[in-house]
Amino acid sequence: MAHYDTAVVGGGLLGCAVAWHLARAGTRVLLVEKDQLNRHASGQNAGSLHFQLEYRMVEHGDDAAREAARALPLHLDAMRAWAGLEAALGEPCGVAQRGGLMLAETPAEVAALDRKAALEREHGLDVDVLEGARLRDLAPYLAESVRAAAHLPGEGKANPRLVTPAFARAATRHGAELRTGHRVTALHRDGGRWHLHAEGRADTADTVVLAAGVWTTELAAMADTRLPVFPVGLTMSATARTAPLLPHLIQHVGRRLSMKQTPEGNILLGGGWPAKLVTRQGRIDLDHNPELRYESLTGNADAARVVPAVMHLPVIRSWSGMTTLTPDQLPLLGAVPRRPGLYVATGGSAFTLGPTYARLLAATLLGAQPDLPLDGYSPARFGALNFV
Amino acid sequence: MNEQPDVVVVGAGPAGLAAAATLGRHGADVLVVDEQQRPGGQIYRQPPAGFTRPGRQAKAGRALLAEAESTPNVRWLPDSTAWGVFGTRAGLDDYAGPAPGPGRIRVGVHTPDGGRVLEPSALVLTAGAYDLPVPFPGWTLPGVLTAGGVQTFVKAQGLLPGHRFVLAGGHPLLLVVAAQLVDAGARVVEVAFSQHPRVLLPGPRDLLAAFGSAGKLAEGAAALRTLRRARVPIRFGTVIRSAHGDDALDSVNMSRVDSGGVLMPGTERIVGCDVLALGYGFVPSTELARQAGCAVDWRPGEGGWVVAHDAWMRTSVPGVSVAGELTGVAGAEQAEVEGRLAAYGTLQALGLLDADRASALARPVRRVLARRRRFAAAVLSRFAPAPATLGALVTDETVLCRCEEVRAGDIRQALAEHPHLGTANAVKLVTRAGMGLCQGRSCAPAVCGLIAAQTGRTPEQVGTFTAQPPVKPVPLDALAAAERHA
Ligand SMILES: Cc1cc2nc3c(=O)[nH]c(=O)nc-3n(C[C@H](O)[C@H](O)[C@H](O)COP(=O)(O)OP(=O)(O)OC[C@H]3O[C@@H](n4cnc5c(N)ncnc54)[C@H](O)[C@@H]3O)c2cc1C
Ligand SMILES: Cc1cc2nc3c(=O)[nH]c(=O)nc-3n(C[C@H](O)[C@H](O)[C@H](O)COP(=O)(O)OP(=O)(O)OC[C@H]3O[C@@H](n4cnc5c(N)ncnc54)[C@H](O)[C@@H]3O)c2cc1C
Repeated sequence: MAHYDTAVVGGGLLGCAVAWHLARAGTRVLLVEKDQLNRHASGQNAGSLHFQLEYRMVEHGDDAAREAARALPLHLDAMRAWAGLEAALGEPCGVAQRGGLMLAETPAEVAALDRKAALEREHGLDVDVLEGARLRDLAPYLAESVRAAAHLPGEGKANPRLVTPAFARAATRHGAELRTGHRVTALHRDGGRWHLHAEGRADTADTVVLAAGVWTTELAAMADTRLPVFPVGLTMSATARTAPLLPHLIQHVGRRLSMKQTPEGNILLGGGWPAKLVTRQGRIDLDHNPELRYESLTGNADAARVVPAVMHLPVIRSWSGMTTLTPDQLPLLGAVPRRPGLYVATGGSAFTLGPTYARLLAATLLGAQPDLPLDGYSPARFGALNFV
Repeated sequence: MNEQPDVVVVGAGPAGLAAAATLGRHGADVLVVDEQQRPGGQIYRQPPAGFTRPGRQAKAGRALLAEAESTPNVRWLPDSTAWGVFGTRAGLDDYAGPAPGPGRIRVGVHTPDGGRVLEPSALVLTAGAYDLPVPFPGWTLPGVLTAGGVQTFVKAQGLLPGHRFVLAGGHPLLLVVAAQLVDAGARVVEVAFSQHPRVLLPGPRDLLAAFGSAGKLAEGAAALRTLRRARVPIRFGTVIRSAHGDDALDSVNMSRVDSGGVLMPGTERIVGCDVLALGYGFVPSTELARQAGCAVDWRPGEGGWVVAHDAWMRTSVPGVSVAGELTGVAGAEQAEVEGRLAAYGTLQALGLLDADRASALARPVRRVLARRRRFAAAVLSRFAPAPATLGALVTDETVLCRCEEVRAGDIRQALAEHPHLGTANAVKLVTRAGMGLCQGRSCAPAVCGLIAAQTGRTPEQVGTFTAQPPVKPVPLDALAAAERHA
């Protein structure tokens, strides 16, 4: 049994990044991961660095979009954070910010794009709606059917295979202790300290950070508190390698689509196509990957027609993963009310925004005033769920 | 095709043909999906229509082919790949697309005219096996082929892929292919087996019988006679250490191994050739079954990972059965009887046979199967290549994953740098081995063997690469077209 300043539960991007920030500030950190690092959402996602509002945020009308836009300061911060990340971690993470395009094919979509861009510009995001020759010059590979695109120069991609391991190694260099293959099965507070039980070991910490992705609800329950986090299953596909043809991140304002080319030459397709959660005896089984749906694979392929040059490429693999959403689509970030020393970080686009979530949460733990307001993301907004 | 079949059979080899014929005869509506232009699978491979070079094996399989092709209710989808099975884990529903009805499975198929979805009540997987890839320095040179590949050239296309052939490995198929090459006018320089004759005792006849069918003993003996007449040397305890050539193969370096399978220094020999045909054995094509969620077992003597099944060939996934090499590499005759058994099991599930009648029909089939299995256990395991011998051929520079050009040294280094890595999937994520076009079909045995050897883990702990759809590449436009048809 050992005592730490902070114990982090979860070895995904958020857990490893928080551990890095805390360790380099000189605190004693333990990170506990039930499987291997980067095994779940952080290693399975699309690696998109998208800072425009996403399709899922604008598909439910302007009010919902305005609500989602409250998080745009985080987007701006993350855009800068990614640009400096490889230097800060001292290793390559495949970060390439060569611009992103959100496409519109119908007049209604063009109008939606214009409204979205106006909203984003209000928040200081440098979005430009391109049409005609300006668009074709920038992106000659787009299909005729594309009428307009919102361009944001700071968008791009990073490599999910590299990012989390890089955070983990940097954290280790600063003295953080990383323990994999240990599933936390009990979490309670006693004598002013948090007690963590995992695989027969018991350790204590002054503070605990839940960075447990879709398992956040389970961990919260161990601490007898409720955090409303919902798992969703998502689909990705990769094609065979091809010569460079797509320098940008591609999204669509009216369809589920994200598309990019990896440095190796594969085209990655995603954008929110669902996979079906597996249930066992009537309960969601989080320990099984969701089942891929035929319709998601064909639908995603159909959405790719906006870049005709990819259509002859063979798809070599599809996979599914789970990520978390909250009822208001905003992140869940900060101190858990009535549980002194317990913190949580999850929800929303926690790859793209992950480095920012982690930095702000670590600042809170270290007692500093975060430089961006976090109140809107606090678990306190769901305080009605908790009575003790 | 508007009407959905009761049963989809994937693969038209002996197992698939027997399953389809049996199912059809008892009233099931069957659709056979096969990648080849014509049914027959690997062993009964027919030349494309218009060619007239039926091989001896094609003749042997003619009865089975004729039976299947003349059975009513059996339809064929040639030139088509089943690339994914859906609905076996979480079930199908009509939220995302029209649901096909209770108890149905969805199978994605890539056909010459695009994509299509089949929605049968039952699925029989008989995808066969493919040549075990064995990496060594130079194995990626043009001219280094598999024995199965060379046989396809000769049998299906009537072509010789070179002039001077060396055949090497550990499987009796080498003898048959060598004889076919001699018959076709090729110069066979040498046939080399890695095993010592002592390991193969009681003799070359067993070696031939192991090929899968007692009925083929005569054919095997004929192969031996052909080779003897042509004065083709057959050597034992000999392996290929490396292959050489600038842009294509011009020679191989052969070396002897001792009876423990260890390379003997000072025994190396350079032999000129422009084709090296390798036949170390076969790996069951389990990817579609694994993608569907079927449980697998590790059986090194039967090709590696094999699909687990019960006495009616039913897998762990309801509605999905297997037959043939997927259950362990054991040859054509066993594949055929397993195909019939799988059909009887499936017919019961469809309500087309009652349990008593199915048991009665299955009884003689089970007797043949029991005999075959005893034989397989006694003989086949002797041909399983020794992992230590094969592993010793690999240098740090040897490419294991050809698609992503990952070398053995890259994997050793990754294992050294990340001491927590221990599974095939984890190593893949770090090194990209297995992420390419073939999705690990050609590197999984070597990569997994290396991880096990390096980390001291068992093959079961290392596992293999997770199979995901599409299990064979499908062009985006074919998937997209399927969306528009739906
Ligand atoms: C297919 C897909 C596509 C996506 N696309 C995008 C995108 O384009 N942009 C974007 O921003 N985001 C995307 N996401 C979401 C993004 O990947 C996640 O938001 C992010 O990776 C979350 O990181 P995390 O560290 O919170 O979670 P995870 O990576 O899931 O890590 C949580 C970890 O906690 C561990 N854990 C859980 N319970 C316990 C326990 N009891 N004890 C010990 N350890 C435990 C888990 O094993 C896991 O490793 C996508 C996700 C998926 C699946
Ligand atoms: C940016 C990016 C690019 C990709 N490009 C390609 C590509 O070009 N070709 C390609 O084939 N795939 C590619 N992939 C997909 C990758 O190979 C995996 O399929 C995917 O990341 C996770 O998918 P899966 O659910 O299929 O899990 P798999 O990797 O197939 O694994 C599922 C099983 O693997 C184990 N597992 C997985 N990861 C780990 C780990 N880190 N440690 C320990 N165990 C693990 C678990 O036991 C689990 O049961 C890419 C992925 C990403 C994120």
